[in-house]
Amino acid sequence: MLNSLRMSMGWVHTWMGLVLGFVLMICFFFGALSVFDREIDRWAIPDTRFEPQPMPSFDKVLKPVFEQLQPDPVDMAATERRVVGSLPDPETLKLESLFAYNTHRDPVLLIGGEFAIPNEPIDPADDHQHVHGRATVNPATGELLNDDALKIGSDWFYPMHFSLNLNWMMLGYWIVGLAALVMLAGLVSGVIIHRKIFREFFTFRPWKNLFRSSLDLHNMTGVVALPFHFFFAFTALVIFASNIYLPVTHTTLKPLHEHHEMLEAARTGLPHEPSGVAAPLASVDAMVAEAKRRWAERDMAGDVGFLTINHLGDENAYVSIYRAGSDRVALVGEGIHFDASTGEVIREEPPRSVVSSIDEFLTGLHLQHFEHWMLRWLYVFGGLLGAICIATGFVLFVEKRKARHARNGSQGSRIVDALAVTTVTGMVLAAVGMLVANRLLPADLAGKGQWEQTAFWSVWGLAFLHAALRSSPVAKARHNPAWREQSLLVGLMSLSAVGLNWVTTGDHLIKTVFTDTYWAVAGVDLSLIVTALVAFYAAAKLRAPVAAQQKEQAVSRNKQVNAYD
Amino acid sequence: MISQAALQTTNRVIAAILGGYAFTWGFSVLGIATMVALGIDFHEAETAISLVAFLVFLGLFLWTFAANSMIRVWLVLAGGAGVMMSVGLMLQNSLLS
Amino acid sequence: MTEAIWLVAAAMAAVLSMSWLALAYENHWQQVFPQTGTLPNRSRLKLTGWAFLLLSAVFCLNADHPSMAVLVWVMLLTVAAFSVAMMLSHRPGLLKMICPPLFAARA
Repeated sequence: MLNSLRMSMGWVHTWMGLVLGFVLMICFFFGALSVFDREIDRWAIPDTRFEPQPMPSFDKVLKPVFEQLQPDPVDMAATERRVVGSLPDPETLKLESLFAYNTHRDPVLLIGGEFAIPNEPIDPADDHQHVHGRATVNPATGELLNDDALKIGSDWFYPMHFSLNLNWMMLGYWIVGLAALVMLAGLVSGVIIHRKIFREFFTFRPWKNLFRSSLDLHNMTGVVALPFHFFFAFTALVIFASNIYLPVTHTTLKPLHEHHEMLEAARTGLPHEPSGVAAPLASVDAMVAEAKRRWAERDMAGDVGFLTINHLGDENAYVSIYRAGSDRVALVGEGIHFDASTGEVIREEPPRSVVSSIDEFLTGLHLQHFEHWMLRWLYVFGGLLGAICIATGFVLFVEKRKARHARNGSQGSRIVDALAVTTVTGMVLAAVGMLVANRLLPADLAGKGQWEQTAFWSVWGLAFLHAALRSSPVAKARHNPAWREQSLLVGLMSLSAVGLNWVTTGDHLIKTVFTDTYWAVAGVDLSLIVTALVAFYAAAKLRAPVAAQQKEQAVSRNKQVNAYD
Repeated sequence: MISQAALQTTNRVIAAILGGYAFTWGFSVLGIATMVALGIDFHEAETAISLVAFLVFLGLFLWTFAANSMIRVWLVLAGGAGVMMSVGLMLQNSLLS
Repeated sequence: MTEAIWLVAAAMAAVLSMSWLALAYENHWQQVFPQTGTLPNRSRLKLTGWAFLLLSAVFCLNADHPSMAVLVWVMLLTVAAFSVAMMLSHRPGLLKMICPPLFAARA
């Protein structure tokens, strides 16, 4: 296409980058926020502002909590549609498996389980015959916390960056997957277009015209963070490969997969099915102690990150204990499996193979279970560099074409500019607006999480309307004042979020930094203040071109007036 | 009236995304089946392929836009996908029988 | 605590390394030393730059498990390169103090 390699790569870079760039902005920005998703949760749910804790005693704390666990009503309703007849009373359903998961950053513990149901499935191939339940627990006291409160960090911003919170037909995942592929294609094609990569490594000339200085920034942020951009887009695809993007082993190769599962169950001794004979549960704490002893023996002493029990209450029940990978780039792993009724070790997973280690490193570097605050901030920075790279790409697109479009009477630049405003400042407004809504809405409001989501989408929608309505100067090759107006609003909203946090919870920065240090909340507040400063700075900078434009307009109007004389 | 150029561009984009995906799918099926046939653990094979598959997809994606002949592109993408898929399925059948 | 010291050292080494690698380019050297009639001693600057790049990696390895050190190192280099680019465009004078005369050559 287009005669030469560089020209065809230029086409891919420009057009695919433009279309999927709007998605990539969301991935990079909300991805950067996800680095601190648990901390944002603390900010948004003040009841959980206490210190992170290790996995508590199962026998003393968690066992009684699991007895209170109830099937999720939403999942009850969804399951009811897939089975013959109606489901029994949720109170009578029996828990058949359970899990507990925590990270080194979690003050709260996420637990859940699967409840067995007696009904036959409508579709005989449907082997997913159970109802899920989940709860959030204070591990210090074993008290069940209100799970209704939306975890804005880990249940909204985090899924936003890989699914756009667009769950219908998994549509969001697929759009993001395509965007990740296009990101990789954009990086490779960008390198091909620009042969002088290293010469431009340190080059940023803000005093040049807008096109030239944006191009500098576009190249520089793309190149200095090239490894970050490449590996995050690439690992995003790898993480979801086997379950979403390339599920060959669940479709085309399903027979081979099932055959392997059977062989594996026989080899590992972990029972695939319950026996039907009831048996009691031995001390899980003793099993945890044994698992920790074995990890220490392998010179990788650590804490429990993930604990599961399968076939609960049955003779074939087994407990699996996984190590938290917080001291290296790893996921939960090094699983040790115990017979639940005798407490004996059934199987200790062997060390990982080379392929599996590479995979663990690649997925682990993206999922960041590690405990390393500096690396977390470096990641935030990398994500923001990605966002700058894409945003400057939009500016380049518009600056290159708007004069021509103005002459031809085309609306192309105007549309791109309005969408760029929406996905740059508009997106920040939506995120900050959600935090403001979180502090303004009363904590005991029914369906508060729903309202917060409505606030998020409404702010974003309004930002789009505003950007579109104000964008008419772009069609005349001028600047869109919406950039500046939304920047000002970002600044004001960010500061009011900090103020509202102080007023509604009493946690002001002097307290959270100095007198009663709590970095999760202080970090969010400080980040909001930095956001405000950057936004005000940008608004001040953006004043100049708009002011010049107004002057120019005034001059041309005078000329017109004179012409009529 | 849609211009010739627009049709050609649409053809490229569809080939790059859907054709590339089909090829990658066939590649994965054949790759995993072959590795299992060679005695490599199933999940090991699955993981190894997932690490390579998207690089294959990326290469095909870019090649589709750079290639001169769209006929050749479609021959390689659709033909390759079909052949690899069939051979992979035959391998699976022989492994299970 | 020692970990933090190693990481700070690694960050400083990364910034120094990137500064010298940048100054090895004539156009950036001119930004820092306009109208002095000097040019960069390219080979010395590059050599020292690369040496500090490796030094930064060693410091990272001292602080963390190797799997994590690699990531910290790569990300530090990214931030360092970005900071150097920003210094060059906004406060090029800052880079004077890390440039002893042995890095200069007569024009």
